[in-house]
Amino acid sequence: MTCDEARLLIGADPGGTTAALEEHLRGCAACAGLRQEMRALDDDIRRALERPPDLVRPRAAPPAWRQWALAASVALATFLALAVWLLRPSDTLAREVVAHVESEPESWLATEQVTADGIDRALRGAGVTLGITSERITYAQSCWFRGHYVPHLVVQTTRGQATVLILRHEHVPARRAFNEAGMTGVIVPAERGSIAVLARGSGNIDEIAGAMQREVRWLPGNP
Amino acid sequence: MRPDLVRFAHWLARDRATAEDIVQEALLRAWRSREALKDPNAARAWLLTIVRREHARLYERKRLELVSLDEVVETQASPKVAEPEGELFALRHAIMRLPIEYREPLLLQVLGGFSTEEIAHELALSATAVLTRLFRARNKLRVICGMTPAPDIATDAVVASRESTP
Repeated sequence: MTCDEARLLIGADPGGTTAALEEHLRGCAACAGLRQEMRALDDDIRRALERPPDLVRPRAAPPAWRQWALAASVALATFLALAVWLLRPSDTLAREVVAHVESEPESWLATEQVTADGIDRALRGAGVTLGITSERITYAQSCWFRGHYVPHLVVQTTRGQATVLILRHEHVPARRAFNEAGMTGVIVPAERGSIAVLARGSGNIDEIAGAMQREVRWLPGNP
Repeated sequence: MRPDLVRFAHWLARDRATAEDIVQEALLRAWRSREALKDPNAARAWLLTIVRREHARLYERKRLELVSLDEVVETQASPKVAEPEGELFALRHAIMRLPIEYREPLLLQVLGGFSTEEIAHELALSATAVLTRLFRARNKLRVICGMTPAPDIATDAVVASRESTP
């Protein structure tokens, strides 16, 4: 057997052998060394093939119109982000007020006036009374909000209805306006705590907020 | 059995989706010609043969899109097994880079367990041609992996020698 033949057999099947090959290897250190290397390589080849190649092809270059579409979508996303930022609730309190009102959509649907007793029950837990007449209130609940019961009222006005939350335990240094989820709102400081007023669309929230600041009577103590 | 077939097809086609298609078609063909399988013990080799032929058929029929390995990267999704697997990365890539005429007999031999004569029959080549392709496949892998290549063989002399051997 020649070295060419031996190399051919070794390279083609490092694990195989024949009597002629073994005889050649006994007298040829080069071919014996090659077989040792090829066998080691073959072990690696078997390990390499044990699992699929797991290759992915990159996406083809997008056509030109897609780049324009991408640019447009980026611009639109930027515009939307800016709009959202401008209309965002001014702070966490405003956001939670909006979320609470959204969680009670039935409050907007009530049309019958709440009795004086019903209003009183809603106010009592917060330690306040209200000078406003019951004819204007169609929803009055005492709601759990930020760890306290707060009066949640819906007031009918000449320009539609507005939601009022009397927040005895939330203090704001100054008027805060916000616009979120189709609602405009304002949180104003009060004698003790604050009052949030929300309306769907552009209601007369400041007018109601001013009225509530005047009409809410804060009872002594800290309920 | 099916994972073995998909793995074999995947190494042949170098594309997972194509490999799945090939195996699906191959299994369909196998079912239709199941009576041709005389020895149940030979089922694996029989199915691998059908997969290889289906790959070749697809390759011919669709002029299978060539995968440029310069544009192909190994996905990071598959789990990497620390050091030993890392060492195999270059080798796996090198196998992928082998031309099909070298990769195919190597896969048949290593993954399929086919003998030289069986590969020769399957690929319609002489046994010496198969030996030469297998030798050169491994030699290319040595080069790609940074090893010194074995001196190439004088095929004509080997053929003459083998033909003269009783």
